[in-house]
Amino acid sequence: MLNIHRIGFRLMLALVMLFGVNYAYAEQSQLRVIVNDNVKVNSLSESSVRWIFSMRQTTWEDGSAIKVYVLHQQDPAHQNFCKDVLSMFPYQLERTWNKLAYSGLGEKPTLVRDSQEMIDMVSQEPGAIGYVLSTSLPPNLHVLQISKEG
Amino acid sequence: MTKFLVVYLLCTFSFFLANLSHAGEFVWHGFGAQGVIQSSDSNYINESGDVSFSLTEVGLNTSYRINQKLRVSAQGIYINDGNRFNEGLRLDYLFLDYQLLSTPSWNVNAHLGRYKNYHWLYSATRDVPHTMPTIVLPQSSYFDAFRDASLGSDGISLIAQHHNELGELDMRWSYGNTSVNQEQTENLMSEFATGELEHDFDTQFSLSFSPLSSGVAMGVSMLRTDFSYDAGNNDVFIDGKAKLFRLMLNLTYSAEFWDINAEAMRERTDFIGLLSNGGIKDTVAEGGYVQGRLFLTPQVTLLARIDMFDADKDDRHGRLLQQNSGGAVPDYFAYRDQITFGASWDFHANWRVRAEFHKVKGRARLAPVFIPDTVTNDSEYWDIWALQVIYWF
Repeated sequence: MLNIHRIGFRLMLALVMLFGVNYAYAEQSQLRVIVNDNVKVNSLSESSVRWIFSMRQTTWEDGSAIKVYVLHQQDPAHQNFCKDVLSMFPYQLERTWNKLAYSGLGEKPTLVRDSQEMIDMVSQEPGAIGYVLSTSLPPNLHVLQISKEG
Repeated sequence: MTKFLVVYLLCTFSFFLANLSHAGEFVWHGFGAQGVIQSSDSNYINESGDVSFSLTEVGLNTSYRINQKLRVSAQGIYINDGNRFNEGLRLDYLFLDYQLLSTPSWNVNAHLGRYKNYHWLYSATRDVPHTMPTIVLPQSSYFDAFRDASLGSDGISLIAQHHNELGELDMRWSYGNTSVNQEQTENLMSEFATGELEHDFDTQFSLSFSPLSSGVAMGVSMLRTDFSYDAGNNDVFIDGKAKLFRLMLNLTYSAEFWDINAEAMRERTDFIGLLSNGGIKDTVAEGGYVQGRLFLTPQVTLLARIDMFDADKDDRHGRLLQQNSGGAVPDYFAYRDQITFGASWDFHANWRVRAEFHKVKGRARLAPVFIPDTVTNDSEYWDIWALQVIYWF
């Protein structure tokens, strides 16, 4: 009887640990939209984020310039960001930027090599916005709350 | 010689600018493409039907942000595409972009100068190879001989963009004209046209809407344009005018591993004068294409397309055309149905190689339009193949 209790207790413990690990993993891989600390915005709708990353909105509400940073098209963070936040596919975004850059309508966002460079650039550049798959964020930037629509 | 100089300059610039594309307030982009193309039984590329390397497209653009509301953008290109387009350097666009309104849900911009045609699916970057689905675009909507007149204009353009919980809405209006040189006149009309063709004006309006998170985008555009012709010495044409009205619809659907693009157009042309024997009559042309792409991997894309065009909706099989020309112009110059298969591979960052094959039934939309080359184009069926390598930054 005691053994059954012990086995049951250990099984429960294992499940809790497993859940904990999963939870921690989920925490680690959560995609965050980040902005420089001088940006006085705490939340945006998904369509507003798409508007900004499609390079259509070029200034924040106070009139200051928006600096958009993106990762390479094949980067998992970029793919997650496109599908989960922007509700579009990376190739659609690329097409939008190409149309802007090669017809004079606008500019492409700035491409960064990896998440670390993304964090560095967004934390250093006033008006900057980007995204990361990370939990440990330095000062000088904050995470935006993204609200779903539709 | 010009071709080699331009390619050399692009290579030199690209090395300097690729890593400095956001240097200061100047932003630089460019592209270069070289290919090989053949249409053995038509005058589409050349009269001989031989394999041709006249498939060169090179461009360099820059934009400078003067302040948050004002930008200036410019692009110069060099093209050498055989009979399709006249070889040479062109100022593709050069305009001031002034932001009239910018709110979190509205954007309104005015462009003054030489602006691009933003109204059709592919018109804004028609001359930028890596942004196009194929080397040869569907001719029903993107008639090569009309390229320079439809690429953009000198004038004013307004663009309004809006988004809300329903989706994204784009509205565009433009008014301007282009200058037509003698080579373009001959390409469009005939080598027997010795006079001057002028593009009086061109006004367009378009609307497109993309419902939120649907992957669907749909649009409508309207074009109204006039051309005038002043006959020259020993000209087969007389003074006259061509008034054109075009209505276009487009639809796109984008899925993760495939997409579909379609455009349909109806074009009414009214002629005043031009041919003394009244050989040119008012027509309503109709056409459209459906194109599907499969993204096998992020680097490899397959494409299939069907494009159909009738030069006169009241004479789809060309019987009247043949009859009215006394048998000089065969009936197959009245229509053009084209099937295209293509593949592209992005073999390295910013490098692409692509190949395509077109099987064509009919000879409509082959320049020159008014007095077609019936000697070289002596059969109903013909084909085109092409291979191209593209670099961009």
